[in-house]
Amino acid sequence: MGYNILSKIIEFTDSEEPLEKRLENVGALLLNFFAFDQCAVYLLDREERKLNLAVAIGNKLGCQQEYNKDEGLPGLAMKHGKPIFATHSQPNKELWRGVFDQGALGFATVICCPVKDDIFYGILYLKSREKKSISPKKKKLLDVIALQLSTAIKNYECIINLTHTNTKMKDMQARLIHAEKLLALGEMAATLTHEIRNPLMSIGGFAKRLHQQLNPDSSQFMYANRIIKGVERLEKLMDGIVHFSKKDGCEFSTEDINNIIEDAALFFEDDFKRHNITVVRDVALNLPKIEADRQQLRLVFNNLMANAIQAMANGGTLTIQTRHKDNWIVTEVCDTGGGIDPKIMGNIFNPFYTTKETGTGLGLAITHTIITNHKGIIEVNNKMGVGVTFVIKLPVATICEQLAVNSEQLKK
Amino acid sequence: MSEKILVVDDEEGIRLLYKEELGDEGLDVHLAASGEEALAKLEKDRFDLIVLDIKMPGMDGIEVLRRIKERWKNLPVILSTAYHHYKQEFGTWASDAYVVKSSDLKELKTTIKDILNTGRK
Repeated sequence: MGYNILSKIIEFTDSEEPLEKRLENVGALLLNFFAFDQCAVYLLDREERKLNLAVAIGNKLGCQQEYNKDEGLPGLAMKHGKPIFATHSQPNKELWRGVFDQGALGFATVICCPVKDDIFYGILYLKSREKKSISPKKKKLLDVIALQLSTAIKNYECIINLTHTNTKMKDMQARLIHAEKLLALGEMAATLTHEIRNPLMSIGGFAKRLHQQLNPDSSQFMYANRIIKGVERLEKLMDGIVHFSKKDGCEFSTEDINNIIEDAALFFEDDFKRHNITVVRDVALNLPKIEADRQQLRLVFNNLMANAIQAMANGGTLTIQTRHKDNWIVTEVCDTGGGIDPKIMGNIFNPFYTTKETGTGLGLAITHTIITNHKGIIEVNNKMGVGVTFVIKLPVATICEQLAVNSEQLKK
Repeated sequence: MSEKILVVDDEEGIRLLYKEELGDEGLDVHLAASGEEALAKLEKDRFDLIVLDIKMPGMDGIEVLRRIKERWKNLPVILSTAYHHYKQEFGTWASDAYVVKSSDLKELKTTIKDILNTGRK
C-alpha cells in the first residue's frame, strides 16, 4: 500500500506539469488515501514572512489564504520543523496544542506537516471533520511524502532561477553588443569629426563671406545661402556624433529630475501650443536627488519631447510622470501619437537609424548612451495605435551625496 | 593702432578664413601653419592674442600653449578646435578661452573682443 502511493506521488511530483498542478495531484491523492476532507499546501514567500496558500483540494471550509509565519498550526509546525498530528473530541473554538487556528475550526483531526529538507519551503495541511487516528506507519509515510514534495519545489525554484538568470544574461549580452557598437562608432566619430569639421568650416565660412558680398536679388545669393544651410546641418550632426565619443566627459552634480524636466518642457511650450498638445504633469514632490550631468539629461528630455511632438503633430496628450521606487527615480514620458511600428522597434536605439526625412537618426541613440552613462535604464512600452511610453530609471544619489547637498542648503 | 593677433592652424583654408573675417573686425591678423612657426614668430614679434588649434602635425596645440605660458605668462590664448572633449583635459586649463570650431565665427569674435577689452582695462 505504502509503496503504491509513494510511486504515484513520485510520478506526480516529477512530472513536467506546472508546480501548482503537481501539488494539486499530490493533494488529491493524499486526501483520498487518508480519507480526510481538506488538503492545502502553503508556500513560504521570498521575504520569509508569510505562508501563502498555493493549492487547496476538497472541502474548502475555513481554508485561510495566508498565515503569518508565527500564526496558527502552520506557524507552529514551521517553528518546530516537525509535523503536528492533533485530534479533538469536539470541533469547537478550542486551542490546538496551545495555539488558536481559525483554519482548524470545525475539524476534529488535523495534520500540519512541514515541507522541508535543509530549507523550509512550506506546509502540507490536512484536515478531517471526523476524528481519525493515524498509524505510525502512515506518519512515517507522510514524512517521506513531505520530503519528496520539498525536492519537487526545490527543483522547480532552481528552474525558475535558471530561466531568470538566462533571460538576464541574454539582456546583458544585448546591452553589451549595443554598447560596443556605440563605442566603435564613438572612436570612429572622434577622428572623423576633426577631419570633417575643418574643411566644413572653410566651406561654410567662405560661403558666408560670399553671401554678405552678393546682391540679395541674385541667384548666387540663394546658392550661397543653400551652402550655408547645408553646412549648418552637417555641423549640427557633428555635434551629435561627439556625444558618442567616450572621451567626451560628463560633468556630474546632484540634481532634481523634476527641475530638469520642467526646463525641457518650458523650452517646448510654444510647440505644445502650436500642435494642440496637452501636457499632463504627474510628478512626485520631494524626490531624492540623482547624480547627473544636467546638460546631458536636458538633451535626453529634449529628444524625447521633440519626438513626442513630431508623433502628435495633430494634437494629443503628453504625460510626464516621476516617482521614487526602491533605489530608482523612475520617469515616464508618454505620448498619444499612435506608437511605433513593431517592425522597427529593434532599431530605434541604433545610431543613424531614422524614418524621418529631416532626422539624423542620432536622437534616441544619444538618449540611450546618456542614460547608460548615468548607470540608468531606458525602456520603451509601445502600444501600436495608441502611443509610446519611454521609461527612464536613474539611480538615486548615495546618502553621502544627498547629505552634501543638504548641508550646502543649510549654509544658505 | 589695431591689435595684433596670431592665428595658428595647420589648415590653409581656415587660416585664410580667419585672416579675412578677423581682418574685417579691424584686427591685424598674422598667421602660422604650425606650432614651431608660431613660437618662432612670437620670439620676433609682440602679439596681443593667440588663436591656437590643438590638433596639428608636429608640436600639438597643448604643447605650444605650455611653452607660450612659460615664456609669456600674460599673453592671452584662445584654443580653437574641432573637439569638445579637450575642454575637460587639464592641459587646456591654462588657456584663457576654449572655442569649438564652427563656420559661424560669432563665438570666436566675441571671445576675442572680450579678452582684448579686459586686457585694456
